Amino acid sequence: VLVTVRAVFRGTVLHPMLSADRQGQAGGDARFRLAMASSGIGMAIVDLDGRWSEVNPAFERMFGHAAAEVVGQPVAMMTHPDDRAASDDALRGLIGGVLPTLDAEMRYLHRDGHAVWTHVNVAVMRGADGEPACLIAQLRDITAQRAAEAALRDCNAELERINRQRELFAYGVSHDLRAPLRAIDSFAALVAGQYGDRLDDTGRDYLDRIRNAAARMSGLIDSLLELSRADRSELKSEIVDLSLLAEWVGAELQDAEPSRAADIAVQPGLLVRGDERHLKQLLTQLLRNAWTFSRDRDRVRIAVTGERRGDRLQVSVRDEGTGFDMRYAERMFEPFQRLHGPEQGGGHGLGLTIAQRIAQRHGGRVWADSESGVGSVFHVDLPAADDNGRDT
Amino acid sequence: MSEKVILLVEDNPDDVELTRIAFAEAKVANQLVVVSDGAEALDFLFARGKHADRTPDDLPSIVLLDLNLPKIDGREVLQAIRADERTRSLPVVVLTTSTEPFDVEASYALGVNSYIQKPVDFKQFVWAVKQVGLYWLVLNHPREGG
Repeated sequence: VLVTVRAVFRGTVLHPMLSADRQGQAGGDARFRLAMASSGIGMAIVDLDGRWSEVNPAFERMFGHAAAEVVGQPVAMMTHPDDRAASDDALRGLIGGVLPTLDAEMRYLHRDGHAVWTHVNVAVMRGADGEPACLIAQLRDITAQRAAEAALRDCNAELERINRQRELFAYGVSHDLRAPLRAIDSFAALVAGQYGDRLDDTGRDYLDRIRNAAARMSGLIDSLLELSRADRSELKSEIVDLSLLAEWVGAELQDAEPSRAADIAVQPGLLVRGDERHLKQLLTQLLRNAWTFSRDRDRVRIAVTGERRGDRLQVSVRDEGTGFDMRYAERMFEPFQRLHGPEQGGGHGLGLTIAQRIAQRHGGRVWADSESGVGSVFHVDLPAADDNGRDT
Repeated sequence: MSEKVILLVEDNPDDVELTRIAFAEAKVANQLVVVSDGAEALDFLFARGKHADRTPDDLPSIVLLDLNLPKIDGREVLQAIRADERTRSLPVVVLTTSTEPFDVEASYALGVNSYIQKPVDFKQFVWAVKQVGLYWLVLNHPREGG
């Protein structure tokens, strides 16, 4: 083997690594050989006829071949049939001077016949005359990497399938669960309207209960859909005036309950980057929450403020309502977790989950502080934006 | 000339009944013709199949179309209506339970005149149907002969 290689190397100025040794060619060869032998990466020298002329121990381990078995054999013999044409082309290009280097993924055959996915990097080594002297190849086993990539592709395909499924499911919920509810509510309303005088108070009360239950379930379905949309719909990235949205949400809450005295103070100029529709939804959940749990107070007081922290804006929604027990500060963001019954203004237990999901999709989160009986403050962390239109 | 009919394409018998009641409460006198799938809707409009004895020129004043229908769904019905010279300018209102944004988008892309989401609450449902009747049968001035 050595003889073969010497023949190739003789009288040539090799790679800088090799020629750096000014003490002579023999010293350079020895150091190169040592480097090759101790390298953890497969290395090989290929002659100008496209044959292996030297391979290192890492190469031997990768492909199960002893050096003696492959030296002198054409590279093509060890190349996977499907990659042979590409490999031959590349070798011709390198030797012919058309291709300065090769960096590719190819399959070579292990001694036992299985294909080894290999990342191969080949450079031409030139002699003093500038003519190609031989090729030096570095080979790295990427079987595991390829397998991981394939697994990732499978996962992505599966994820896409699940997402499609979820979309169909949401669609079914939107359509098929609502239709029967409309029948329940409507026919109960018709009975109450047309036959109410033939019923006693208990009968009319039952009809009311049916209609109230239908309305609650309708609200629940709307929230489930809202949560599903917060999860799956694509987010726009635009500059959003959160102050304006908060004022708008406040006005909607006041419209829905005009008799309620309320002070909603919003700090102006809170600019963030995100999806306006979703961010309005997020503020709706937080402000409605603050509104609902201020029901015991003479006046609803809500303050929306923001504080810049680097490239983030921390927005706080503060109320002076009943507050909550801090033991539940984490749990209340989980779906269907309620801290209050319906008679205390508790909803269906999805509002804060929706808010959290939207914040997460904007790279942030929602968290809460409270003192029972004094009020609550909900914080949201969102990407800040400047009013000159640039991101921060 | 007799009043033109309203064509309701709806497979849910409860919704059919509620639409009837809503039109009655809104005092809409036009006869309500109900078909329960997309294929029959097209047969009616183009006077073929079991509606072959109809005069094809005698189009309804308006088509109220549900989206999720057996056989041929509402989107395809809408597409077929818009693709045919005779029915191209026929007012079509999608009246559906779905609130999915892509249903709304797709319906407008296919040339629907209005998209109404059927509310779950009966009072709101009656109100919505009344508005449809008021707009399309009273306020809107149709094209001559259209």
